[in-house]
Amino acid sequence: MKPKAIILRGTGTNCDIETFNSFKYVGAEPELVHINQLLSGEKQVLDYSIMAFPGGFSYGDDISAGKIYAVKMGRLSADFGKFIKDKRPVIGICNGFQILVKTGFLPENKANAQVSTLYTNDCGHFVAKWIKVRINKKSPCLFTKGLPDEIELPIAHGEGKFIIEDKKILSDLLAGELHAMTYSENPNGSMRGIAGITNPAGTCFGLMPHPERNFYAWQNPDRPAAAREALAAGCQFFKNAVDYVK
Amino acid sequence: MTDLLSNFTSLSKKQLAELDGTCGWSLSALELAEVQRQFRGMGRQPSRGELETIAQTWSEHCKHKTFSGPVAFRAGGRVKKYKNLFKETIVRATRKLNKKWCLSVFTDNAGIVQFGKSGKWGLAFKAETHNHPCAVEPYGGAETGVGGVIRDILGVGLGAKPVLNTDSFCFGYPDSKKKLPGNSHPPERIMRGVVEGVRDYGNRMGIPTAAGGIYFDDGYLLNPLVYVGCAGLIPVEKIAKKVMPGDLIVSIGGRTGRDGIHGATFSSANIEEDTSASAVQIGHAINEKKTLDVLMRARDLGLYNAVTDCGAGGFSSAIGELGSQTGARVRLENAQLKDSLIEPWEIWVSESQERMILSVPKARLAGLEAILKAESCDYCVLGTFPGNGRLLVTHGAAKVVDLPMAFLHGGVPNFEKPARRRKVKISAKKPARPAKSYGRILKAMLAHPNVCSRHSVINQYDHEVQGGTVIKPMQGKYGDGPGDAAVIWPQAATLDLSDFSGFAVSHGFNPAAGKLDPYQMALHSVDEAVRNLLCVGAEISRTAILDNFCAASPRDPEVMGDLVLAAEGCHDAAMAYGAPFISGKDSFYNQAKDAGGNEYPIPISLLISATAPVEDIRKAITMNFKEAGSSVYLAGVSRGGMGGSVYNDMAACGNNFISPLDMKAAVRLYTGVLKAIKSGCVPAAHDVSQGGLAVTLAEMAFSGGFGAEIDLCDAKREDGLTPLELLFGESPARLVLEVVPGKEHEFLKLVRGLPVSKIGCVRDSLVLEVRDAGARLFREDLSQLKKSWKRELI
Amino acid sequence: MIIEIWTKERYAKNEEAAFLARLARAGLKADAARLSRLYRVEADFSEAEYSRIKSGLLTDKITELSSLAPRKTALKKAYRVEVWLKDSVTDVVGESVKEAVAHVVGRLPEAVRFGRAYYVSCASGLKLKEAVSKTLVNEVVNKFKIGKTKTGR
Repeated sequence: MKPKAIILRGTGTNCDIETFNSFKYVGAEPELVHINQLLSGEKQVLDYSIMAFPGGFSYGDDISAGKIYAVKMGRLSADFGKFIKDKRPVIGICNGFQILVKTGFLPENKANAQVSTLYTNDCGHFVAKWIKVRINKKSPCLFTKGLPDEIELPIAHGEGKFIIEDKKILSDLLAGELHAMTYSENPNGSMRGIAGITNPAGTCFGLMPHPERNFYAWQNPDRPAAAREALAAGCQFFKNAVDYVK
Repeated sequence: MTDLLSNFTSLSKKQLAELDGTCGWSLSALELAEVQRQFRGMGRQPSRGELETIAQTWSEHCKHKTFSGPVAFRAGGRVKKYKNLFKETIVRATRKLNKKWCLSVFTDNAGIVQFGKSGKWGLAFKAETHNHPCAVEPYGGAETGVGGVIRDILGVGLGAKPVLNTDSFCFGYPDSKKKLPGNSHPPERIMRGVVEGVRDYGNRMGIPTAAGGIYFDDGYLLNPLVYVGCAGLIPVEKIAKKVMPGDLIVSIGGRTGRDGIHGATFSSANIEEDTSASAVQIGHAINEKKTLDVLMRARDLGLYNAVTDCGAGGFSSAIGELGSQTGARVRLENAQLKDSLIEPWEIWVSESQERMILSVPKARLAGLEAILKAESCDYCVLGTFPGNGRLLVTHGAAKVVDLPMAFLHGGVPNFEKPARRRKVKISAKKPARPAKSYGRILKAMLAHPNVCSRHSVINQYDHEVQGGTVIKPMQGKYGDGPGDAAVIWPQAATLDLSDFSGFAVSHGFNPAAGKLDPYQMALHSVDEAVRNLLCVGAEISRTAILDNFCAASPRDPEVMGDLVLAAEGCHDAAMAYGAPFISGKDSFYNQAKDAGGNEYPIPISLLISATAPVEDIRKAITMNFKEAGSSVYLAGVSRGGMGGSVYNDMAACGNNFISPLDMKAAVRLYTGVLKAIKSGCVPAAHDVSQGGLAVTLAEMAFSGGFGAEIDLCDAKREDGLTPLELLFGESPARLVLEVVPGKEHEFLKLVRGLPVSKIGCVRDSLVLEVRDAGARLFREDLSQLKKSWKRELI
Repeated sequence: MIIEIWTKERYAKNEEAAFLARLARAGLKADAARLSRLYRVEADFSEAEYSRIKSGLLTDKITELSSLAPRKTALKKAYRVEVWLKDSVTDVVGESVKEAVAHVVGRLPEAVRFGRAYYVSCASGLKLKEAVSKTLVNEVVNKFKIGKTKTGR
């Protein structure tokens, strides 16, 4: 049976369809669900085995990126908490990562409090470009398993500067190898060049770059004739989630 | 003013003009007289709401009176008369070409052509301008411009899903020394505001902004141009729309407020000191995103019979247009408002952003409401389309408009405009030898604002959302090479991951040529757009194009002359390239008074936007050199004439001749080159345009991280061409190709008999060396060339 | 009630530098600057409710500080520039915050307007005003006022 993946939408979500397509390609049965459908009780997150928070500008990112969506999720935090505790895979991409951070699901902590943030880029505005990221091979993150040491992915965000204030939380994160992905060249001023982090179980992962935009080799800006037919690094993230629940 | 209104039918010409000025309608004396005549016939005075409706409906923005009107063109003692300039040039070419793959032209909010192999999809494409608002409030003006053209795509047929935004801007030079009048913004501020507006709106909408350009000329100091375009996919069976009598009028999206009063008439007026604040709005992208999400779901469920966008003229235009056959009964008290101070007639004509009007069968309303609520999208039911042909608008007990639809959409009075050819001195003498070395000229040219890198702007746009931008605006080894055209694989619209059909979009734009020869400008612009499509491997025999004219005041016969010549050029180019126009727009009165009180008009500005299918997006190509050892070919004949070139902007060479384009030869050449690209012989192609051949070679080299050794001795050229013209001349119909070593034989067979010649090889060493018959013209390090080019514009 | 939010000084260097550069392009050399966001919430909420909106919704507690009273900066000889959209202009941010406030306190406020405050150390208030209208505001859509600030925290 195909694992059911819930692709969470809200007002202003805009990478939902390509994320849907990515999960469909690797053999999941994705479904687009609006947060209003969860709030009304029409849909339940616990009916799904994979969860994705796609990119976009939820509620315009007014106040700060992902904040209003996170506030809306407040009433449902028990369901989301259980989903993560059950070790069902959760991926938050870009705005999705911002939501996971603002809700306090990442970095994982007992109080479920926001302990880190993704703040305005050092350059002060939105930046879209291709960059290189390093994969932390020691990380428990299930989404990055099997990837090479360094891959290319596009970023597209205005608020991606990862900051943890508390030294203990930062050292625990580093000691646990929860920083699953770091920038080869820091594009936004993130602490330790952190581009993506996971929970200790490796099942809940948030990252600023967009794997769904480097899913096929022909999406690369440098189009070497030889690689046109092949899948690209981004595909692996989605495949790993599906393989894990199968 | 109330006095004037209540005695409308007996006002003198002077009083009518005074009333027009007070109300800001921008109607001409002839039009005012016609309105007066009509109401005399009805035997009553008009209401404010009725006059506002007429002013909006008859505005330049809605009716395009200038381009669709009669013109008498005088050139060299001869007079050519047009009854309808637009129909007799641009539309005529489309009709004559009569392409089967054109599904809808000139009738709807956008043109539609067939997309893909399945026969299931159409591609809708439209470009607009939003110039005056951007001059006054660059950020809000750009935002609402983007929002408006997206709504054109949402409102074409029963709604297309936007998959690409384009943007092309014209500004004064950022370092311009010209003194500006007190009410205008310096070009640097306008540029920042416009870029930020496009960024914040387009990015929030989740539509990639992936094609366009920026052009600098001091002619745009007081009147910047902001062209915004949008392309979307629509199922073929959703192209037809028809309002049925009894349908409900439903407005969805944003609310109505006083912020949107008088945009349509504003676009017909010259910019003056006291430009009204309320003509400028800030965009609300998230409201429009909700509208998009609702429409796409409601369309697929068949919940409405027709849709159109609320643009210029607001409800009055949108409902008037949808109800032109059935009439409309509107109850304005049902409208959702932003503020309570608004007058009923203001609700009717307000252009508040982010609104769409649907024609909904009563039985489908509940279904539509469920989706609107699920997406948290505001809406209101404004009334019905009754079927009696009458437009009746009320607010509670008060009557706002009561007119037969036929009156509004009947004949707008129009008068013949005189046009004549502009006198320009053209010199075709040999260009003066430059004082600087060719290498130094090249570096200066790469740093010229019209040539240098646009990365600091493009990086701010999300050009890859939807995951379908396979050929990006910046490409190559370092992701920063300047692409010729964007290629879109609309996976987020079709959801079909096994169909690799896509489409390419490009532009052609050359106002520098237009100042000298508007006819050649049009030809060159169409040629450049088609050539750009060719450079990514698109099926250019299926090119469809859009025209967007911007000009100064049509009361100036020379401005009208420019327009006539350019429109004739459009016709001839469309015929020669087999590329029909499918939609277009025009914007006049782009002139203002400068600090000295003199009229400051823009040059004639024609943006050609072009699209063509890409059969297999996996095989589309980019512009950077790919491999050391490849051969480099120049396709096309280099001709004399430095007119309109970047070089002439940098240094006067005494020659301002524009080489006439041989379109038949160009089409033959491109057909051969496309065969070679499709056979896989050509991994890189790049057009020769601004800056000439030297710039093309430099860009291909530093974007790929490979050098090249070039000798131009075999390059096809006109007799007596100087090295300056060869390197920096901008004669059309040329492109540079990289050819894979093992496939050179096959390549040569495919281009046999065409003016294509080998000019050198790609090399590992990071140097670009160009010789002509052994004599070295220049030899430059790629790092130096790239450093000159990679400027931060913003 | 006006709620003021600002970036902690250790994270604010980039935005301050960018702001100073912007003023410099408009011809004003300023010594230092501080930047704040302002939310004017029009409602009959209690002090405790405003505090909840401030801390629970509007402030990023990792990187930002906030106050229900105008901020005091340590800048010497500083002016305070307050910029809002005119009331006739749709305030997009204000509208979304209005909705979000309802999630926090359970009731919709009458209106929310979003603005900015800039604290600028410079020699001439007149020159500042000139620079502000050249780069920070467009009087077609904005309204602003400039006043002197008191020194001290």
